[in-house]
Amino acid sequence: MNLPKTNMIQLPSRRRFLQDSGLGFGSLALASLLNQETNANPLAQKQPQFAAKAKSVIWLFMTGGPSQVDTWDYKPELQKRDGQDLAGADPKTGFFTTSGKCLKSPFEWRQHGESATWVPDIFPHLSQHVDEMTFIHSMYLRQNNHAPAAIELMCGTNRPGLPAMGAWMTYGLGAENQDLPAYVVLHDTRPRGDDQIWSAGFLPKTYQALTLDARRKEAIDNLARDGKHSDAQQRAQLELIRTLNQEHAATRATQADLAARINSYELAYRMQMAAPEALDIAKESEATHKQYGMDQPECATFARQCLIARRLVERGVRFVQIFAGKGVGGDGSVNDVPWDCHSDLQTNHRSNGLHTDQPAAALLADLKTRGLLEDTLVIWGGEFGRTSDSQGAKGRDHNPNGFTIWMAGGGVKRGLHYGATDPFGYKAVEKKVHVNDLHATLLHLMGLNHEELTYRFNGRDFRLTDVAGSVINEILA
Amino acid sequence: MKQHSFSTVAALLFATSLIAPAITKAQAPDPKGIEFFEQKIRPVLAQHCYSCHSDEARAAKKLKAKLYLDSAEGLLDGGESGSVIVKGKGADSLLVKALKYDGLEMPPTGKLSDEIIADFTKWIDMGAPDPREGRKPGAAKRVINLEEGRQFWSFQPLKSITPPDVKNADWNRTAIDRFVAAKHEEKALRPNGPVSKEKLIRRAYFDLIGLPPTPEQIAAFVQDASPNAFEKVVDELLQSERYGERWGRHWLDVARFAESGGYEFDGFRPGAYHYRDWVIRAINGDMPFTEFVRMQIAGDKLLPDDYRGAAATGFLVAGPYPGQITAKTVERIRYDQLDDMIMTIGGSMLGLTLGCVRCHEHKYDPIPAQDYYGVASSLARTAHGSKTYDPDPAATQRAVEKHRADGEPLNAALKKFASEELPKRFAEWQKTELAKQPETPRWQVLEPVTVEAERSWLKMLPNGIVAHDGTFAIESNARRRPRAARAAEEYTVTTHTFQKNLTSLRFDAFTEKSLPKRGPGVSGDGSFELLEIKVTARPLDRANLSASQRALAPGQSDQAESSGGLRPPARQDSDKPIELKLKPVFAAFEDKDQPLANVFDGKPATAWVVRANAGKDNAAIFEIEGGLPGFASGTELTFELNFRDLGIGRVRFAMSTEANPATWAGDVAPQHLAEIRATLAANNNLIPEAAREPLARWFSPFDLETAKVFNTVRDHVNREPRPSLTEVYTTIPGGQDVFLLRRGEVDNKQGKAEPSFLQVVATAADKEARWLPKPAAGQPAIDPRIGLANWMTDAEFGAGALLARVMANRLWQHHFGEGIVGTSNDFGAQGERPTHPELLEWLAAEFVKGGWKLKPLHKAMMLTAVYQQSNDVSPDNLKIDSQNRYLWYHKPRRLEAEIIRDALLAVGGSLDTTMYGPSLLDNTPRRSVYLRVKRSELIPFMTMFDAPEPTQSIGERISTTLPTQALTMMNSPFVRQQAEKLVARIRPTADVPLETAVDRAYQFAFARLPSKEERDRMLAFITQQTDANPNITLTEFCQVLFCLNEFVYVD
Repeated sequence: MNLPKTNMIQLPSRRRFLQDSGLGFGSLALASLLNQETNANPLAQKQPQFAAKAKSVIWLFMTGGPSQVDTWDYKPELQKRDGQDLAGADPKTGFFTTSGKCLKSPFEWRQHGESATWVPDIFPHLSQHVDEMTFIHSMYLRQNNHAPAAIELMCGTNRPGLPAMGAWMTYGLGAENQDLPAYVVLHDTRPRGDDQIWSAGFLPKTYQALTLDARRKEAIDNLARDGKHSDAQQRAQLELIRTLNQEHAATRATQADLAARINSYELAYRMQMAAPEALDIAKESEATHKQYGMDQPECATFARQCLIARRLVERGVRFVQIFAGKGVGGDGSVNDVPWDCHSDLQTNHRSNGLHTDQPAAALLADLKTRGLLEDTLVIWGGEFGRTSDSQGAKGRDHNPNGFTIWMAGGGVKRGLHYGATDPFGYKAVEKKVHVNDLHATLLHLMGLNHEELTYRFNGRDFRLTDVAGSVINEILA
Repeated sequence: MKQHSFSTVAALLFATSLIAPAITKAQAPDPKGIEFFEQKIRPVLAQHCYSCHSDEARAAKKLKAKLYLDSAEGLLDGGESGSVIVKGKGADSLLVKALKYDGLEMPPTGKLSDEIIADFTKWIDMGAPDPREGRKPGAAKRVINLEEGRQFWSFQPLKSITPPDVKNADWNRTAIDRFVAAKHEEKALRPNGPVSKEKLIRRAYFDLIGLPPTPEQIAAFVQDASPNAFEKVVDELLQSERYGERWGRHWLDVARFAESGGYEFDGFRPGAYHYRDWVIRAINGDMPFTEFVRMQIAGDKLLPDDYRGAAATGFLVAGPYPGQITAKTVERIRYDQLDDMIMTIGGSMLGLTLGCVRCHEHKYDPIPAQDYYGVASSLARTAHGSKTYDPDPAATQRAVEKHRADGEPLNAALKKFASEELPKRFAEWQKTELAKQPETPRWQVLEPVTVEAERSWLKMLPNGIVAHDGTFAIESNARRRPRAARAAEEYTVTTHTFQKNLTSLRFDAFTEKSLPKRGPGVSGDGSFELLEIKVTARPLDRANLSASQRALAPGQSDQAESSGGLRPPARQDSDKPIELKLKPVFAAFEDKDQPLANVFDGKPATAWVVRANAGKDNAAIFEIEGGLPGFASGTELTFELNFRDLGIGRVRFAMSTEANPATWAGDVAPQHLAEIRATLAANNNLIPEAAREPLARWFSPFDLETAKVFNTVRDHVNREPRPSLTEVYTTIPGGQDVFLLRRGEVDNKQGKAEPSFLQVVATAADKEARWLPKPAAGQPAIDPRIGLANWMTDAEFGAGALLARVMANRLWQHHFGEGIVGTSNDFGAQGERPTHPELLEWLAAEFVKGGWKLKPLHKAMMLTAVYQQSNDVSPDNLKIDSQNRYLWYHKPRRLEAEIIRDALLAVGGSLDTTMYGPSLLDNTPRRSVYLRVKRSELIPFMTMFDAPEPTQSIGERISTTLPTQALTMMNSPFVRQQAEKLVARIRPTADVPLETAVDRAYQFAFARLPSKEERDRMLAFITQQTDANPNITLTEFCQVLFCLNEFVYVD
């Protein structure tokens, strides 16, 4: 039989073909929805459904759950009633049992900026940027322990095996820079939940995060060979691989995935160059290093992570998530949940403030200077808040019923306070925002309709927002 | 099957009342409640709520939050924010909270009066009586019609199908081909001819065992010109143990197998691998698929106290499960856990998506929520946990038997020694040494003759101490006899004496540094709780001695004894021992209010507890009331100790013949000397012939030669083989009643659910009773999981037809790349329809007819023309069927993650084919099916090549192409290492010509020789590389081969 050449056959676009090439069924709907040609590369950049306000997201994940009433949700009433009964307190809100007595914030609070935002003294640097931020004070979710809450916050529902929002965004938008992964996670000690909170879940592994471990200085596995052979040698090898693979593919004309694999070697070769370059913070000026706090041991790790994050979004990485690692410690909290101030919130939050404040502020300033803040959305927040009543004498337990996150940049209002907790900061009461609403809003900012970004798995069309979620229009710029 | 015709609703009601009668109907509201509603509630709803929450509002496009408050149903169903009322809990209801402006603020026009809010609270507290009928509009409830549902193709009984006649008789080889050929003819497709033998054998090897053929295996097949050459290959592969590893892995995908809990701490389950091993063994043994299913659903009930049953039900508990559960989440998590089991059973075995039925009737398939909760109820008493088992009791038994046989010559040697050597040695000693021996002490340590324990193994130390040897038996396997009512552990120690007039007994419990907290108890805190001590005496009548006693009581082995070493012989009634009446005198240490006297108070529930005083040597003494005169032939004293939990680490017994009152005072020494003196005294200072063998025991401390022979026997007894016990992660008793939940919410219970199954595939006239019959009077109830398994495997009236279709389709899928039903986990309305419905029907029927065996089905599929087709792509066919739905060519496929890694190891010659056991990290050369599957830390190589996330049943893996895969093949040390190893295989010495090395590498990697062009190109590449760096020449070449698509694809 005469073998047809590849280009003689019109390859159909169809579910199986897409699956073979890593694009799922749901994305076909999306692709046609986006009125765009199907591309064999599932990471090819896709046009958003409507004009996007943000191109990239950097989420500064405050691992362990910072206390809202000791960070961004000032409650004078709580300050006044220290030690008194907290009306309506449920001692079983968190993981342990709380006292039911109000515990005031031990920090000094002052108002900052035109927005007159109250900030505790643990954030001397971030306090200078409050007018850039939109605060959502009425966040809530359903899980009251670290891993389940982090899964809910990242994946929309507390069930392992679901894709995290970074994977969803990459699935919906592809990669802007083909030489770098679109979704990058930076962590120190692995947070509770590990891979489950940045998983591609049932989505193709194409949308899996690249994880960079601070303890290994962000090394990427298999990025380079042992160095015994030259670039010319590798080129020769790749040439040979390509030629032979092309011959192989030519006789298997219906296999679009073979072409993708041929291409993947080119991409890999380019990634070998691009990734080290992107991660090479030595290229940054000394002033920049100082600005981020690289010279200070208390925050050097987080500083490096923030600086890398900026370099990544600068190069078109779609979603960067930094899981804040250990602070200076001292209150007995553990490395994988640094903000987890069960026993001594003052020591804990001060130490975590030292670890994160200056780098986060520098990131905002740096992005702004470079004109990147306009289309980069920076988010600050952890998996839940803390109880307004005390655990033990000086600690606070987990509290998923009300907590604050802030966002800055790409498409959100500046200096806005949205929603509210009760006068003690215990529960979100006004304009409550569930994780699903937050996700709907984030996808909206990225130019995606959360109800239409679906993927069929085991007989169901899944969404990041499950069956709920509404865009919070009031915070959009 | 014919059914009475009912109207839709009637059919449902009929089903409800007969099939699941136990979902209790809510009671009719009382008139007072209705009156309250009409007076206080309805007017408020109408005035303040209907404008946004009613059918009218919907019509006017003013409906908010998809919430309808204008019908009882709408109110109960709630809206976007979930349920709005929790019956009986007014204050907790969202409706009341919203009225109070707590969170939500309703109505938005202004807060209603406290009085009205109080009315609502009261009304919900009353159970929210609501007479309003009418259905919630909008998302109108689909009424499930079971009779109609049963007409759907996959829910029908299996049909008997005759393969169609076809014109193209040359092409087809088997019945399967005729089904495929009929479609070809219908669509005017021209199927391909056979693929080359090299490609065929590679295809068969990867399909069946997941490893490439070696050059020798290829050559043998290519050279075999016999017509059944391929059949021989298939047979051989099906016999290979690698087959179970390959196909077991396919099953592990659908079983969402992993070895950790996921969630918070992702706790590792060290005993979870037994399920994986069980799957591999079952598949290698071609276990009938019905049994394979039954064991996974109810193995622990079908084979209670059996390793295999426990390993099999690892299936049910393999899902994720939170490690930290708070009081607020415990109940919901329990329903999550049941949901995980139901979804997995549905997806893997029945090809149904059942998870959605937790919250609402199935949107597409005829599965009402009550069916879901019926299945949930069948699983209600199933919890996660670990149990200890002997994985191979037969091997243990064989070892015990061998041990016994090995003991025979030792016994014979002792007997010989006793009659030939002992008398003169003893006579000499008697003459010269006996008189120098000390007086008999007050306390004579009794040397144990036999020891046994209910839950553990004991051994005899030379100083008369009985020691726990650290091995615990399986709790559920009572090894010997029924225990005392409350005792969890029982020690039985027998001793012998030839002395007379025993007056008191002594018991010592020693600490030891190897025991927990130094003991003396074996419990974690070193404590013990001794419930009772029973001491019996009887004549040392030789005929009654057990095998091991005989071993230590020489001269008795001529009495043949058939019962095993683990069991004592049946006793004769005439041997009934006399129980000694004991009086406690002293205990060294007693905890407050838990004295030694509790041991003798006749109340089995009370105990001598030593916890506060643990960590110290302890002892007790007792007087024998009335004394024990002793028997002429010697006395056997048996001590039975009953413990509440675990036993004591080191125990010793002693006796005294001195006059009471008993006292601590005096020496403690072995009984031996006194026994010798007693025997001599009774026999005129001589040792009669009959006493020679017992004498070996008593004489051994005084004579090295005697000790050597005697101790050899005792040491052998101490070495009795123990089972190699292992912890299995499996189902354990637990769980609570299951309730039907409205919207899947645990605060919204609708009545208790009872075991029942999916009605759409349950057509037996006697309904559930067919699979879960009521037990006869006095018989224990059948476990509902057995009922579930019965129903699932019943091809006539239950889900068996569906089960057979789903599994036959999986086999087809893995041989052809795609199932006849493309969605192998979804045979419902949302799934794809079969491309060859009659073929699937025929395969399923053959499968059932053939005893549900997989191996014949593999063979039937592989010996076909359609399986052996080439990969050629004809433009004409492509125009007609571009997707190859009708199988006119064989589509190349990328290998799965595990198989890529295994193939690298195999081609590198480093594959270690050791099977089974605890899982490993990927630095092992063993097959990938044995790699650890920890949910939060999946092995990167596996994940990168699309090994699925093990959280839900996965029927079809996705295959992605990523640059990181290319990086791995180009740069990873593992791939590099295999390339180096391949070099050593293709060119072991420098005199092998490069051409030969290249040819051989192609054979290993691709199961073929290179074309001349390819060879030349490779040689040129090698030469070029050699110029640069001779050390890496061939390694680079081999690595290039691994990077080629041909290596990771099978044609």
